[in-house]
Amino acid sequence: MSLLLQSLVLGVLLGGLYALLAAGLTLYFGVMRVVMIAHSAFLILAAYLAWWFTSETGLDPLLSLVLTVPLFFAMGVLMQRVLISRLRPATLTMMSVLLTFSIALVIEGMLGFAFSGTQRRIRLDYGGANFEVFGANVAVVKLIAFALAVVSLAALFLLMKKTQFGQALRATIQHPEAARLIGINTERVAGYGFGLGLATAAIGGTALALDSTFYPSLHWHWIGPLMAIIVVGGLGSIPGAAIAAMVLGMGQALLQIPLGTTWAQTFFYIALFATLMVRPQGFFGGRLAQRF
Amino acid sequence: MPSASDTVSTTDRRSRGSVALKAVGLLVLAAAVLSFPSVAANPFILSVGVVIMSYAVLATSWNFVGGFTGYISLGHAAYSGLGGYATGLLVIHTGVNPWLGMLLAGLAVAVLAVPIGIASLRVRGASFVIVSIALVLILLLVFQSWGSFTGGSNGLRVPRPFGPEVLRPEQHERFFYLHAALLAVALLTWWLIDRSRFGMGLKAIREDEDKAQALGVPTFTYKLIAFVVSAFFTALGGGLYALWFGFLDPIFQFSILVGSYMVLMSLLGGIRSLFGPFLGAVIVGYAVEYFKNQYGDTQFHLVAMGLLLGLVVLFMPDGIIPAATNLVDRFRPQKTSIREVTQAELAEQRRTAGPEAAQADQQARTDDGTDIPTSDSTVTEGARS
Repeated sequence: MSLLLQSLVLGVLLGGLYALLAAGLTLYFGVMRVVMIAHSAFLILAAYLAWWFTSETGLDPLLSLVLTVPLFFAMGVLMQRVLISRLRPATLTMMSVLLTFSIALVIEGMLGFAFSGTQRRIRLDYGGANFEVFGANVAVVKLIAFALAVVSLAALFLLMKKTQFGQALRATIQHPEAARLIGINTERVAGYGFGLGLATAAIGGTALALDSTFYPSLHWHWIGPLMAIIVVGGLGSIPGAAIAAMVLGMGQALLQIPLGTTWAQTFFYIALFATLMVRPQGFFGGRLAQRF
Repeated sequence: MPSASDTVSTTDRRSRGSVALKAVGLLVLAAAVLSFPSVAANPFILSVGVVIMSYAVLATSWNFVGGFTGYISLGHAAYSGLGGYATGLLVIHTGVNPWLGMLLAGLAVAVLAVPIGIASLRVRGASFVIVSIALVLILLLVFQSWGSFTGGSNGLRVPRPFGPEVLRPEQHERFFYLHAALLAVALLTWWLIDRSRFGMGLKAIREDEDKAQALGVPTFTYKLIAFVVSAFFTALGGGLYALWFGFLDPIFQFSILVGSYMVLMSLLGGIRSLFGPFLGAVIVGYAVEYFKNQYGDTQFHLVAMGLLLGLVVLFMPDGIIPAATNLVDRFRPQKTSIREVTQAELAEQRRTAGPEAAQADQQARTDDGTDIPTSDSTVTEGARS
């Protein structure tokens, strides 16, 4: 029983991080119809930056967010403006995949070049600390990572729902032509949307750096599950992505008990195939996904 | 102004000339490929040649999906890896003749590709790419974990099809010709499809899937057939490679990098051209081997590969062959018959030309007797004037 509870808690904690990252992927897809393969590469880049920041300054890795979030936002805007918007609209979906794939390769290669391929880990004073809830063991770092993800998701939600920029962003996602007609500068909004998506990678990467070991090619292990999540949730739907992330994250954690870690990973892919067979537009997305 | 009969005769003459030119070009290419083993300075160069031919087979196989339908698969390494493993396992466990084993492996992978294709081709573009990547990752996991059957991370040793009396250089030479033969079959199949009604339907899907469907092309079936044919040839390529190399490691077999090589090669050469992937394979394959030889297997080749792919996507998405053909065509008289124009090019032309130019163009074409209605509005306007 306590093992089950333990897995559930771990699943929720992991699901929070997945939800944040999947929200970023959904943003890219929403504003530009771009499947951003490099998302998890930026995630690992952020983790490396947090590690580098801590080992250089000796400060807490969480403080690196002050630098990485604006940096990643700017990189996202730049990427959309300089690279993605240059592609021909007719072949945008396919070519953007290749373009972001090439960006992922460059990031992976550069990380290996700069920091070597060895596994890195941040040593924290509170790294080993944990406490018990109803017999389940919760590591403090995992809880911090989860809290970070939840706060960012809530901030993103408020930004999307309550501000004028959020309205413009949602309008751009729903119908770019109509948004342009009512005077929204969709080009700029799409750029900012891209920046926001990349900012989630900065936060996720720092959260990841708190409690795991990372290495340059780790991003391939993240991109698969994240892609599965956004397809199951329905491409383009942020709440759908968040719910799918929670469900799949918990499913993975529960399956780890009978199957072990490696085979539990395949759960994401099975869910992906099942979704495409049963409901190809995803469970929450609907219209958007079907058209693309 | 030339009359219609004039136009026909010049086109006829030109096409006859270009057929002869193509035949000569094909002969030169075949001679160059077949004489390579005798020209190669040493066994190492010859082995590089085999690797390049293997890439050429894989890239050409990839192009059955990528070139005809425009669906870019980043995970074709899944099929080459499966083909290699299936061949190896069949030979080891059943003792079947290696070449028969390779063919059986190809067929098995083709059968497996049917449900995968059904799942991934149902939604346009994005989902297809996601599934193609996911497939490689899932297979990597499975083949690494399932040690008792696949050899796991230790790899799988595939018995050689030729006896010990055949020495290494001799092996390379034989496999070079075998790869060349497989490449020829794949190219021939591509060419036949390209000229068929089926190929026309596939290309219609590439340009505009909705319109193709509206015109009665059974888009899903066509896509699925192209996908399965592609998986079959890719698996054969993987199987042949496994028999040559004699050792399979899941990390290298189910690697996203191998899949992206296929994409880069095809894209660089030109996915609309028969020999595009082959040309790309020669360039990229040579570059990859050169880099590995000069700088070792470092992270640097990842960066180079990424940059090259990015540059090709941004600045030359149509590839070398179309770019070169355009350059040559500039010095030729304008073609008057129906041209193959992509949707993007057409939109671009219309945008730059504007309505007046379109009308004038229409008028000119009507005079030529080679009228192509571009849209309803221009046709009625042309009729009115």
